[in-house]
Amino acid sequence: MSGEGLPVLGRLRRAFTLGLLVPAADALVLALLWFVGSLFFGFLLHGREVYFAGPWWLPLLVIVEGALLWAAWGRSPGMVLAGVVLRGSARGRFLYWALSHLGPVGAGLALLDREGRLPGERVGGVEFVEGRPTHRPWYRTSVGWAAALGMALALGAAVGTLQIDLQALLTKAPATVKYWQQVLRPNTSLLTLGIQLLIETFFMALMATLFAAPVAAALSFLAARNLTRGWIGRPVYLLVRLAGSITRSVDAVLWAIIFGVWVGMGSFAGSLALWVHSIVDLLKLYADQLESIDPGPVEAVTATGASRLEVIRYAVIPQIVNPYLSFTLYRWDINVRMATVVGLVGGGGIGFRLGGALTDFNFSNASMYMILVIVLVWAIDYLSARLRAKLA
Amino acid sequence: MAHLVIESLTKIYERGKVRALTDVSFEVERGEFLVLIGLSGSGKSTLLRCVNRLVEPTTGRVVLDGVDVTRLSPRALRRTRRKIGMVFQQFNLVKRSSVLANVLTGRLGYVPTWRALLGRFPKEDLERARRALSRVGLLEKMYARADELSGGQQQRVGIARALMQEPELLLADEPVSALDPATSHSIMQYLEQMNREDGVTVLASLHFLSLARRYGTRIIALKDGRIVFDGPPGAIDNAKFKEIYGEDAEEVEVR
Ligand SMILES: Nc1ncnc2c1ncn2[C@@H]1O[C@H](COP(=O)(O)OP(=O)(O)OP(=O)(O)O)[C@@H](O)[C@H]1O
Ligand SMILES: [Mg+2]
Repeated sequence: MSGEGLPVLGRLRRAFTLGLLVPAADALVLALLWFVGSLFFGFLLHGREVYFAGPWWLPLLVIVEGALLWAAWGRSPGMVLAGVVLRGSARGRFLYWALSHLGPVGAGLALLDREGRLPGERVGGVEFVEGRPTHRPWYRTSVGWAAALGMALALGAAVGTLQIDLQALLTKAPATVKYWQQVLRPNTSLLTLGIQLLIETFFMALMATLFAAPVAAALSFLAARNLTRGWIGRPVYLLVRLAGSITRSVDAVLWAIIFGVWVGMGSFAGSLALWVHSIVDLLKLYADQLESIDPGPVEAVTATGASRLEVIRYAVIPQIVNPYLSFTLYRWDINVRMATVVGLVGGGGIGFRLGGALTDFNFSNASMYMILVIVLVWAIDYLSARLRAKLA
Repeated sequence: MAHLVIESLTKIYERGKVRALTDVSFEVERGEFLVLIGLSGSGKSTLLRCVNRLVEPTTGRVVLDGVDVTRLSPRALRRTRRKIGMVFQQFNLVKRSSVLANVLTGRLGYVPTWRALLGRFPKEDLERARRALSRVGLLEKMYARADELSGGQQQRVGIARALMQEPELLLADEPVSALDPATSHSIMQYLEQMNREDGVTVLASLHFLSLARRYGTRIIALKDGRIVFDGPPGAIDNAKFKEIYGEDAEEVEVR
């Protein structure tokens, strides 16, 4: 079903695009900028991941109003995405700016709760300093109703766009039989190749973990609040933590794509992706562990006249060795699983072949690879859990 | 010359703007066993920590052997710290390390850094560690992990660690508050022995007045960060006691 040619539908779509989609896209971009910006300044001022400290409506206002102004008078990303160019007089632009408030303001009003507060004390982990969350069942809040309505609308839209064909779902199941048959008959001739690929995958995970652990361990001392004091220590701490948070928010799959372009697809790119992601993940785990050590022994060893390095060697390291090893094993376990996923997007190893088999609809091959992956993941999971239990 | 001189020491904690010490001044002669008493929060720990600068004083001076500790460079401070032993209420041992490793940390102020980092302590220090441990009766626990020991044993390891420093001054921050009465006395006797036999000046904070009377040669009482009493144990009468601990306080004995 298409609305092309129908003037009413066309206008509606245009209104929808210009009134909601463009502001939403621009607001998203601005929100991201705000997020990174406030993360940065939050770190600078508070030394932790505070996303915004201030009245909650301020970022909202800045982001929404900024988006509308941007769309009306600049070349905003939303406009570029929607492929619209706003031409015309200052009056036209002003009119668009004024009218475009309808969308966000309407959405905002729909979301107001009984006390006239916008939802958003804690949206997606964003910590606001003011404001209290409402403690009522969802169906007794306007927010709950608005969310339910939004979900119903989204569902309706999804049904419309995804060509949901219940008839096919219910009657065409036999078409999949031949695939299931393939799945049940894994191509055992791939066993040797599969095992080779599996070993490659295993080594990707192992190398990534082994090379990430020392880097993360060294950096963790710069990312622990209690060990970085003074006018050199504090900025270094902030920098390392900030860089860590930003890098960590990029998924390993994305790193695999980045390194795939950088050094060419293959297991090297996959290992690099796992390596980077492991460093920042372990860095956070390690640094948090460092921050929670018992300060007593540190004080006692300092009092004997020991130097900083000696204090770290004798009072800090004994407290963290086992947790660090435990985290490393845990990360190794994750990396084995992730090596396959990273492989799917061109990071080499068994995941790459598995992805190929799936796109070729060769489920017999895919099934063989999958069995091998499951065996490996299960074995490493078991091993890592056993080893970690020993460390505890 | 007095061994330790505290001159109008004031400490204001930045966090919370707490005035922990206000204009505290006194002198300690070599060989004294000075006991600090006072209610919880009166500033005993803060005072002890200002002496070896685990806490930086806000104003005032701490003069040890004629040297102003508050003005020392980090390097010189470490040299001074090695002459000041310290034992803690919570013992502050590295729990995962062996008793021996804990005791050896008492020598870190003396051993060259590279040796210490490699864990290669000189033979004399190992010998010294044996002597310190046998002095506190824990030689056979040398290779045990610190967290396998009882509280009293851990505090003895803490004392052995201080002994390793061959200190001239010993700071003891409520060394027996986590221990039962009998064990408390045995720990206090080790401190008394260091004081009498090795001539170590002792500065100890204690919770029980009875312990303070039994072991101290002199008592200083703090209240809200100020000195409210300074004199021999015998001079604390009932009125003084009420002034230090408040009207409703009742004296409790530790036998
Ligand atoms: N690190 C700190 N930051 C802020 N305030 C502190 C800090 N340490 C102590 N204080 C405050 O300073 C005051 C004195 O504390 P201190 O620990 O010296 O008392 P104390 O006599 O040792 O008490 P206790 O018998 O409970 O150990 C208290 O009000 C305490 O809350
Ligand atoms: Mg105290």
